[in-house]
Amino acid sequence: MKFSLNYIRKETWSPYVAGILLGLVGILAVWLSNSLLGASGAFENLAGMIGKAIVPAAFANMYFNFIMPPGITSGVILLVGVFFGGMIGAATSKSLKWGKPDAVNSDVQWKRTFGPQTWKRWLLAFIGAIILEYAAGIAGGCTSGLAISGGMLLAPAAFLFIAGMFASGIVTALIIYRRRY
Amino acid sequence: MAGSVIALFLGVFFGFSLNKAGLTKYSKIVNVFRFTDMAVLQFMMTALVVAMIGLYGLRGLGLITFPAVPATYIVGNLIGGLIFGVGMALTGF
Repeated sequence: MKFSLNYIRKETWSPYVAGILLGLVGILAVWLSNSLLGASGAFENLAGMIGKAIVPAAFANMYFNFIMPPGITSGVILLVGVFFGGMIGAATSKSLKWGKPDAVNSDVQWKRTFGPQTWKRWLLAFIGAIILEYAAGIAGGCTSGLAISGGMLLAPAAFLFIAGMFASGIVTALIIYRRRY
Repeated sequence: MAGSVIALFLGVFFGFSLNKAGLTKYSKIVNVFRFTDMAVLQFMMTALVVAMIGLYGLRGLGLITFPAVPATYIVGNLIGGLIFGVGMALTGF
């Protein structure tokens, strides 16, 4: 009991233990609600909802009517849960940075690579996130929705996606880090 | 309503496991592409194996039916993955 409590307080678990937990969550998702975990779809649901309210004409297409229906779907609620789950995880290890001065950009490696400016971090995150979401739209899911959730149902799409993701991720990291690779 | 509660519950554990595996950090995500820290792969593959065994076992027992499997369209999946990797290495999310 004491051991497990101490383990929960650790900042970083063994990835195998955390992976087992995620695997169980994935099973429960199918068992309890017959759905798959996913993150990127929720952003499209929300974007569709906001877009429909502002410029209905631009969003009255096939994609937003049938593939990604706008609205507060269970994926959006799941994403809210992910947000709070991450905060709980950080709070249990006392690494929650809410309100702390370095909360906006605390990654040492990032600062060493790109410099200490916070706006750079936010700009890169913003641009990168657009790329991420666009790519997730093309592929039909992101790391969680397609690679993990699809992979556990042995969907071929998931393994194609993982292959593509690592191929270009490695090349991008090579370009960013060049000699420090 | 019940569905929302379940989704919230699942989300909390999902976020919790991501945080504990360290996947909420930029360096963890980027270092897997530099082959200096394999936590992302270890985490993903463990989750995959556990979930595969559990899901196929439960289906074998007749307790669950699979939801719609993500569609396979080779070019889309591959190109999506290729663009996704660029974003992932840039942002570290």
